[in-house]
Amino acid sequence: MKINAPFVEKVLCAFIREELSRFHFKKGIVGLSGGLDSSVCASLAAKALGPKNVLGMILPCGDNCSEDVKDARRVARRLGLRSQVVDISPMVDAYFSRYPTQDRIRIGNKMSRERMSILYDFSAKEKALILGTSNKTELLIGYGTIHGDMACAINPLGDLYKTQIRDLAVHLGLPQKILKKRPTAGLWPGQTDEEEIGLTYAEIDQVLFLLVDERKAKEDVIAAGFAKESVEKILTLVKNSEFKRKMPPIAKISSRTVGHDFLYPYDRNR
Amino acid sequence: MKIALAQVSPRLGELKQNLNLHLHFIEKAKKKKAGLVVFPELSLTGYTLMDMVQEAGLNPAKDAIFAALKKLSREIDIVLGFVEEKEKGIFFNSAAYLSGGKILHVHRKVFLPTHGMFEEAKFFAQGKNFRSFPTRYGRTGLMICRDFLSYGASYLLFADGADLIIVISAAPGRGMSEEKAFETSRMWELMGEAISFFSTSFVLYCNRVGFEDGKVFAGGSFVYNPLGKLLVKASAVDEELVVVDLDLEEIRSSRKKWPYKRDDKPEVILQALARIIRGYED
Repeated sequence: MKINAPFVEKVLCAFIREELSRFHFKKGIVGLSGGLDSSVCASLAAKALGPKNVLGMILPCGDNCSEDVKDARRVARRLGLRSQVVDISPMVDAYFSRYPTQDRIRIGNKMSRERMSILYDFSAKEKALILGTSNKTELLIGYGTIHGDMACAINPLGDLYKTQIRDLAVHLGLPQKILKKRPTAGLWPGQTDEEEIGLTYAEIDQVLFLLVDERKAKEDVIAAGFAKESVEKILTLVKNSEFKRKMPPIAKISSRTVGHDFLYPYDRNR
Repeated sequence: MKIALAQVSPRLGELKQNLNLHLHFIEKAKKKKAGLVVFPELSLTGYTLMDMVQEAGLNPAKDAIFAALKKLSREIDIVLGFVEEKEKGIFFNSAAYLSGGKILHVHRKVFLPTHGMFEEAKFFAQGKNFRSFPTRYGRTGLMICRDFLSYGASYLLFADGADLIIVISAAPGRGMSEEKAFETSRMWELMGEAISFFSTSFVLYCNRVGFEDGKVFAGGSFVYNPLGKLLVKASAVDEELVVVDLDLEEIRSSRKKWPYKRDDKPEVILQALARIIRGYED
């Protein structure tokens, strides 16, 4: 699980720089939540592209003066990024006034997709590519909104577990406050990931590392000292979220079909 | 005798652009007085081609890009990687050694990794031979990436008299630790060190850098001398031209010190292999 943070920084900065240049983009956009992942992503992007080529989008729902918004502003200022605040409450409220609900998941997903929609519009407006911030833990357990916060052009953080991102953040010199913040998807006030999932990131990451990176069987992970219920819960989360990690299946009826046997790389002719 | 490893990052499916990349690095190698410049696996086309294999394939005997490179090989020997359409509609992951305006040898990749993140056998036909051939550096053998991780392949080049083993590669780095490199980089160096020492040959390994669909090609190109000594190692991330002086006399001196070559018994190995293969069960 240990990483060499300076090496990882070098590789990920090169990745951001090269992918953008292949697609003839100079600028990147990062949705800044004031949390760990987006701060790390913005910091890498600033190093890779130069701070003035990174636009930090701060997208609160209603409360423009919350601690998270302040933290996001502080990160943008510290890194020297351009930043823009867009309040998503008019759009979200307009929708739910017509289709009211108390379902916090529905509201949270709607907010996440509203942010995505704004990021993509600014991507076109600014000729800048969206840098994703979904980490390996979230991707594996499916803790993200499909077509919401999971949407991006490239994702520099997707192969780092949450705990590894914290190690990288320490190396990048991010403020203590960001490092110590309890991770939240910001789905509702006071929400934290670990409470909602019912497990700590430290535990999830270690179990995932054994299951995924080390290819261990469930029994081996339990024998290594992890609670059976935790391991089973994590496995269920992974199994049930495969659809979030794949393009939707296309019914194959012709002799050559997108996704089946019409096979080209993302970086085609780049 | 100076040789150069061009640790470059080609563009996927952009042959003209990649030819220019080759020309640029050939010029740099010539300026450094190198007599040989080595490019990575599929240097003319990029690696993650998938269905583009069928569009990027060319016949080196007739192709205009090859004509340009062959012409340059009158001034400097060139090793490069490309998609070869050997017969109509049959495509190989190939490496060519150009010298004196001619193609001295074409090696077709035998071990096509097809597991996990790799799917080469889905798109390429499999090569069927390893052989060494004479060059101005002595007998030389070519291998492509995974070929080199099969030590039997290196043995064949050794048995065929290779003084110089040239490996061209597009090896993605993977696995993290506290080290300032990918875990997989060590695997190539380990083989380089062992094969150079036990075959008493130079081993030239040219890997690429850059990114394709998120894969990180991990550079780290190197040269070992026939005594297993690391002469040079390139960075893990950056495009660069590594130039190193080879003392070809070391081939002789290493074999005087360690008679592995003199004492080799290919006929015993052949007989034992034949027996093992006969014993295969259905």
